[in-house]
Amino acid sequence: MRVFSRINLPGLLSFLALLFLWEISARSSQVIQSYFPPVSEIIRSLLSLIFSREVVAHLLATLGRFLTGYLLSALIAVSLGILLGHFRFAYALFEVLIEFLRPMPSVAMIPVAILLLGIGNAMIVAVTLYACTWPILINTIDGVRNIEPTLIDTGRTFGLGRWKILKEIILPAAMPYIVTGLRISLAIALILVTTSEMVVGGSGLGFFILDEERSLSTTNMYAGIVIVAVLGYGLNRLFLFFEGKAMAWHRGATARGLL
Amino acid sequence: MKWNRESKLNGLVVLMAAAGIWESVSRLGLMNPLFFPPMSKILSMFFYLISSGEILYQVLVSLKRAAAGYFLAALLFIPLGVAMGIFQWLHRSLEIIIETLRPIPPPVVVPVAMLFFGLGDGMKIFVIFISCAWPILLNTFDGVRSIDRVLVYTARTFGLSHGRSIIKVILPAASPQIMTGLRISLGITLILVVISEMVGSSDGIGYFILDSQRRLKVTQMYAGMLTLALLGYALNQIFFLFHSRALAWHEGLMKRNR
Repeated sequence: MRVFSRINLPGLLSFLALLFLWEISARSSQVIQSYFPPVSEIIRSLLSLIFSREVVAHLLATLGRFLTGYLLSALIAVSLGILLGHFRFAYALFEVLIEFLRPMPSVAMIPVAILLLGIGNAMIVAVTLYACTWPILINTIDGVRNIEPTLIDTGRTFGLGRWKILKEIILPAAMPYIVTGLRISLAIALILVTTSEMVVGGSGLGFFILDEERSLSTTNMYAGIVIVAVLGYGLNRLFLFFEGKAMAWHRGATARGLL
Repeated sequence: MKWNRESKLNGLVVLMAAAGIWESVSRLGLMNPLFFPPMSKILSMFFYLISSGEILYQVLVSLKRAAAGYFLAALLFIPLGVAMGIFQWLHRSLEIIIETLRPIPPPVVVPVAMLFFGLGDGMKIFVIFISCAWPILLNTFDGVRSIDRVLVYTARTFGLSHGRSIIKVILPAASPQIMTGLRISLGITLILVVISEMVGSSDGIGYFILDSQRRLKVTQMYAGMLTLALLGYALNQIFFLFHSRALAWHEGLMKRNR
């Protein structure tokens, strides 16, 4: 019974109504069909595409670039963020540099990356890494700077070494901020990967979608968009799953009003 | 935010030092000067492009597209978000459609927009419009929905009509969150105008940068990036000014409550 009451009936109905409207208007007019091919056609080509070797290769290329760039940036930005957050002097030195580079839209780095690295995987990964670094870095710095000094002092009083303080106090206390940065960068990574694939071409889902549009296979273009959307959605769910596991202690602590 | 004069000065020194290192590395040929032209050359190219009007032209073209998409999105999605916050049924009906469309990464909209609008301004405006939709819509909706019921009931008790209570109570109470949506969208707008100009355009600052790279006019490319960084910074500052003026009452209230 509870499952039934949780289904959003009006939402589902309007969604299906929209798809239905799309389908009949596409079938009734050639002009509309050239922009919006019938939903049933899109689904059919989606089903044939996801089993085709070509699209699987594009998907894997996109996913590989995404993961490499994202995970590398997480590693670099979190470490750098802890350093800059912890050592005020370092932060004072780099603040202006950060504030100067940050407002520039990271996609502007694509031409530089092409120049330096050519048009291969390395370039796409580098651009993704650059773009993802900012939110994680800024949030990590914020998180470390906002730690109650008492926490660290208490750790020192109990004779914890630098490494222990970092691992047992600083990292957990800054974790909520770090996770926020990681979540923002998740969406950014997919934006940068697909954009670079469109600009340099060759392989990946971004290239596939643009290429299908240029060759006017509109049905395949929409199917490609569905695949990217599902990929984005899936990665987001995966992130929330890990976040839920990693942050369970935090929710428990705040719910009891300890923090 | 704390203002530490000394730290800013340190930062400026670092910025100058970075520029100096760049200059000397390039001049000494430690890194390929073709890829890293000396900073002084980039700066003089930057000023040359400003005085020749080239940069101004490209920036204005981009700004026009950005403004059109951004304001169209605000004009449509703030009212829709307010309506969704007020009417539960509307939110429920649109929820699944929104949640289906939202995970689509914005750059992927570019090919669709090219199909509909070709390579003209309409294409860029549409892409920006769609990409700004979600932050504006969902923040407005959240803001309206989390308004204290008592505020709205009080307005009703004092005999305010529905229309007036929206203007006098709901919009001001939700405005901090509406502003959040608008601020997020501003960053997205700049990114998307550059993306759409790189993928399909013959002018605009995004096109200018990519085109300079393709013609190996590297100094010009860096000058374009410098322009873009300054543009992003300026837009942020303008928004910040507007924000603190529009929400001065809110800041004051928060300070008093603290």
